[in-house]
Amino acid sequence: MIDRTERTTGHHGPDFETLFRAAGVTGWLYAADIDSGRDVGHGADEPLPTASMFKVPLLVEFCRQADAGLLDPTSRVTVTADDRVPGPTGISAMLDDVTISLRDLAYLMIAVSDNSSADVLLGRVGIDAVNAMLAHHGLASTRVSQSARELNESMRRDTGHGWPYLDPDEVARLSALDPARANSSTPREMVRLFGLIWRDEAASRASCAWMRTVLNMQVWPHRLASGFPYDDVAVSGKTGTLPTLRCESGVVEYPDGRRYAVAVFTRSFSTALIQPRADAVIGTAARMAVDHLRR
Amino acid sequence: MDLVRHLRYFIAVAEELHFGNAAIRLGMAQPPLSQRIKRLEEELGTRLFDRSARQVRLTESGRLLLAEAREIVARVDRLHELARHGEDTVLKVGVPPDLAAAVIAALVAGFRETNPEVRLAPAEIWTADQVTALAEGAIDVGLVRHPVSAPGLQFGEILVQLQGVLLAAGDPLAGVGEVHLADLAGRELLMPPREGEPGMHAEMLSECRRHGYVPPQVHQGAGLGLVLAGAAVAFGPKAELPGLAWRPLLGSPITCRVSTAWRVATAPMNELVGDFSAVAVRTLKESAGMTDEGAVPARRISRRPGMLA
Repeated sequence: MIDRTERTTGHHGPDFETLFRAAGVTGWLYAADIDSGRDVGHGADEPLPTASMFKVPLLVEFCRQADAGLLDPTSRVTVTADDRVPGPTGISAMLDDVTISLRDLAYLMIAVSDNSSADVLLGRVGIDAVNAMLAHHGLASTRVSQSARELNESMRRDTGHGWPYLDPDEVARLSALDPARANSSTPREMVRLFGLIWRDEAASRASCAWMRTVLNMQVWPHRLASGFPYDDVAVSGKTGTLPTLRCESGVVEYPDGRRYAVAVFTRSFSTALIQPRADAVIGTAARMAVDHLRR
Repeated sequence: MDLVRHLRYFIAVAEELHFGNAAIRLGMAQPPLSQRIKRLEEELGTRLFDRSARQVRLTESGRLLLAEAREIVARVDRLHELARHGEDTVLKVGVPPDLAAAVIAALVAGFRETNPEVRLAPAEIWTADQVTALAEGAIDVGLVRHPVSAPGLQFGEILVQLQGVLLAAGDPLAGVGEVHLADLAGRELLMPPREGEPGMHAEMLSECRRHGYVPPQVHQGAGLGLVLAGAAVAFGPKAELPGLAWRPLLGSPITCRVSTAWRVATAPMNELVGDFSAVAVRTLKESAGMTDEGAVPARRISRRPGMLA
């Protein structure tokens, strides 16, 4: 594939390299105007682990199956202790059985990145169907090969213990961080996936509108949204987090109607869990990219 | 014969009813005055005065013709007055002192093109003072900033100028493509004087607060020295000035709305005021980047989770 993305190593592009380094991370980024296609990138085609961002293609395939009548998004399931996957939010954090509609599971999966909701939906939708959808849209570097449970178990298997994972040598051998073995994508393909949702091309118009609503309800303000701290700029997206990996893909909508899909992946030099600068640089870099596209 | 001049003699005699007194009033001798009245009577084919008695009296037809004669003479006088006046008709115009010099020049040039016989006399006056000057007749037409409330004034088409922000070239924000009002936090703001532009002042500051910018201090003035010194920022149309950077404001929240204004009872100048209004609309669109009022999009507030959490 010919890379026509504007190079940022030249004299005029934004200096993403320096920005990422100052935040203590290595970063990869791609941003595109959803309607004009004008773009800017920094390592845009690097295969990278997607962590929880795999929930976005799962959401898309869920909608396509609902559109096709293969599943009823309002049908209810009961999520029991056996279905519960470790995780800090949503049903993963609850103690008792939950009866809930499939589409509300999808909402929890996106809004608070609930792992249990994601795995129940993945069980319904099927991992092969998700990958077939990705292939259908030509997203050849994007792959879903693991459930949230499998991802968690791989880290336990790789280190011999549970969370937290702070030892740099242990982190270095996590298969969850190896794009060849874990769920993976590239900044460019995550942006293309979001572009399909925002242009009503990923599923039916109604389903795409609903996906945009749900992605806009994601609660985390510290990454992509932090770069656009304005009442009149809308930010929608999905984060992904693993030891040293922080990322978010999403869409930024400006008051003049122009909209930009952005994907930022970072790997921090340090294995410390709390790194506000590493979170914030996702927003700062995205802002720099969008600002560049608006000039 | 010079009918109008003869009518003037007739009016003088009719008012004096005495040839001697009328001759004195007209600065001439009595015999030629009598001669000329006689000639006028021949010309009109009727006797104007009854000279039979010792007293001079208007005849019936003299009385009838007097009113017409006065009307004719008055109209001729008015004709001459208008002709004299037209040579140096001046339209007094008020413009905001911070209006770009190039725009004022374009206004003058544009008006000269449509009304070459009228001289445009622009005076730099803030909106509030223009309102007073219009009421007193000190100016014929103004270029005012809205909102402005003044009974007795009429306004031309309102045009909108999107404002960006002027920063010192060394300001970190000068490096980005566009600036959100909230990004200006902590910076002092330079605005035109509040007494001069009360409406615009209130509206702009309210818009700033709404968008997350509450300037710690608002300076008043028209010069950009404070901005150049890095002590304040200012709003304004796109400008390239040495030592300053201009950046658009994200979402175009700050606008400047202007229109022409004139007194409702400006009857004699009505046509000129209309001409000036038309020239102003065209010029402001062409050389000041102004647009029709409806062209500014409404603000849409994004809904982010956590707002009520």
